[in-house]
Amino acid sequence: MKKKLIAVPYYVWAAVFIVVPLLMIAYSAFTDTQGNFTLDNIVQIGKYWPVMLRSVLYALVATVCCLVLGYLLAYFMAQQSERTKTLLMILLMLPMWINFVLRTQAMQDLLDLLQNWLRLADIPLQVSNNPFAVVLGLIYNYLPFMVLPIYTSLEKLDRRVIEAAEDLGANRFNVFRKVILPLTMPGIGSGVIMVFVPTISTFVISEKLGGAKHNLIGNVIQEQFLQVYNPNVGAAISLVMLVLILFILIIFSALDEETKEGLL
Amino acid sequence: MKNIIELKDIHVSFDGEVILDHFNLAIKDKEFVTLLGPSGCGKTTTLRTIAGFVQPQEGRVLFEGQDISKLPAHKRQVNTVFQRYALFPHYNVYENIAFGLRISKTPEEEIEKRVKEMLALVNLKGYEKRNVSSLSGGQQQRVAIARALVNNPKVLLLDEPLGALDLKLRKGMQNELLRIQRQMGITFIYVTHDQEEALTMSDTVVVMKDGLIQQIGTPEDIYNEPANPFVADFIGESNIFGGKMIRDYLVEFEGIEFPCVDAGFGENVAVDVVVRPEDIEILDAQDGMLCGTVETVTFKGVHYEMMVRSDRFLWKIHSIKCREPGDKIAMKIIPEYIHIMKKEAGTVN
Repeated sequence: MKKKLIAVPYYVWAAVFIVVPLLMIAYSAFTDTQGNFTLDNIVQIGKYWPVMLRSVLYALVATVCCLVLGYLLAYFMAQQSERTKTLLMILLMLPMWINFVLRTQAMQDLLDLLQNWLRLADIPLQVSNNPFAVVLGLIYNYLPFMVLPIYTSLEKLDRRVIEAAEDLGANRFNVFRKVILPLTMPGIGSGVIMVFVPTISTFVISEKLGGAKHNLIGNVIQEQFLQVYNPNVGAAISLVMLVLILFILIIFSALDEETKEGLL
Repeated sequence: MKNIIELKDIHVSFDGEVILDHFNLAIKDKEFVTLLGPSGCGKTTTLRTIAGFVQPQEGRVLFEGQDISKLPAHKRQVNTVFQRYALFPHYNVYENIAFGLRISKTPEEEIEKRVKEMLALVNLKGYEKRNVSSLSGGQQQRVAIARALVNNPKVLLLDEPLGALDLKLRKGMQNELLRIQRQMGITFIYVTHDQEEALTMSDTVVVMKDGLIQQIGTPEDIYNEPANPFVADFIGESNIFGGKMIRDYLVEFEGIEFPCVDAGFGENVAVDVVVRPEDIEILDAQDGMLCGTVETVTFKGVHYEMMVRSDRFLWKIHSIKCREPGDKIAMKIIPEYIHIMKKEAGTVN
């Protein structure tokens, strides 16, 4: 009985801020501005498919890069002394204490600076206002969300299980492939969700770093609500994105039966 | 018999603290050897040095005469049963046991055959698909043993393998380990702090303290002829006190001369004397020279434990005869039960 009472605030919260808004989005998506039922909004989404696919692609690339970089970093961190661990952790978290928009603006300025140098040096390399810059921004901002869960699962890893694998003849590669990797799958699962879901719907990073040319689906939704004043289409896109994300996460978890608990 | 493992002048220290102090040990093929000692004596470090998890600062490890000191753990032909098992939580029983064979790319039919053999060996037939976390401590222990033996090692290292089991289960597993060792015909190097376990199972016991070997011998040797007061005290229970060797075969303690069976200490030399509590016979006070008063009596199941105060010492006696606290008794010790050791600094006189 007591346990149920503790859960009441959460249920109220979930009802007011999760269930009701979701229903409102679903309602808006299937109605016109007068409130009549229509499938028009969904049909209109057709022309945004390229943007949607680009968003998924950017998010996937950023997630994979974060996974590789984040795993290496977490692995390195987990092997340091307690003092070094704390120091590295602070360094990892420090940028997150700076305002997100400010950070992204700073990255844009840095890339512009680098672009100027490249131009002066006559190196034909585009580093700002392009997909590279957007993906770099995504990786930069979301890397900590990948590192933390993986680091936690590496920390929990029993040292003796690794020794047992070595004892049975496994070299470093096999120890990683057959023991460390499977045992840190829950951390990888959490990290992938924490990076993939926000990166797929970001609009600040693509707006700042993409030079207005590389709009992602987040920008389209924002546009529909704040510039075109067509919230119904915005809601329809959001709804489709929600289903799309859910679908992709199910695919992720199906990739490894073991990780199901970690992902969903 | 030839030596399968030799440790030569092994020196290990962590952060300036010496764990193994120029340690030498030779282990014969097909022997059941136990490294016995209190925690911190270096027994586990010795085992880990053989397994390849500890790199000694000095010294060599020989396997069948070959120097394997520089060989990493995964290339050594020894396998380990870890303390608290260290099973792979993400694999079931079958895959845990098959791990070593999969690493060596053994054909699937061969793996299946070997795993089945191992499951039969440790009495776990039918547990193939079980999740290791659903097994009891004793069953996990069996999986750990099967997993370590599947690679056909010539030497099996066991690091306090029964430490986490309850008494009854431990007794059962002791017998099973002995059976497995006989059946496989390989060398077992067994680490424990439990002296009873060491005496029950071993061909050879190595008693260690502070990174040094105190005594090596058969369980009977170690128990009956402890090399020093530490061994006497650690193996079983003992009355240890100072005495004086009058001459060969005659020792004096408590102001009384006792005939004994030891010789070669010289004349009028201070020595340590060990008498096991179960080797003292209780007589009526008027029937013996060595007398004392019973202070406490504790029932221990098979026997009573009595603390008896004499003129100079407090004696521990195990006897099936019971006396009441306050009773005056005499103690009889026959020559064979008086063990004489060279005097060591620090013994209570």
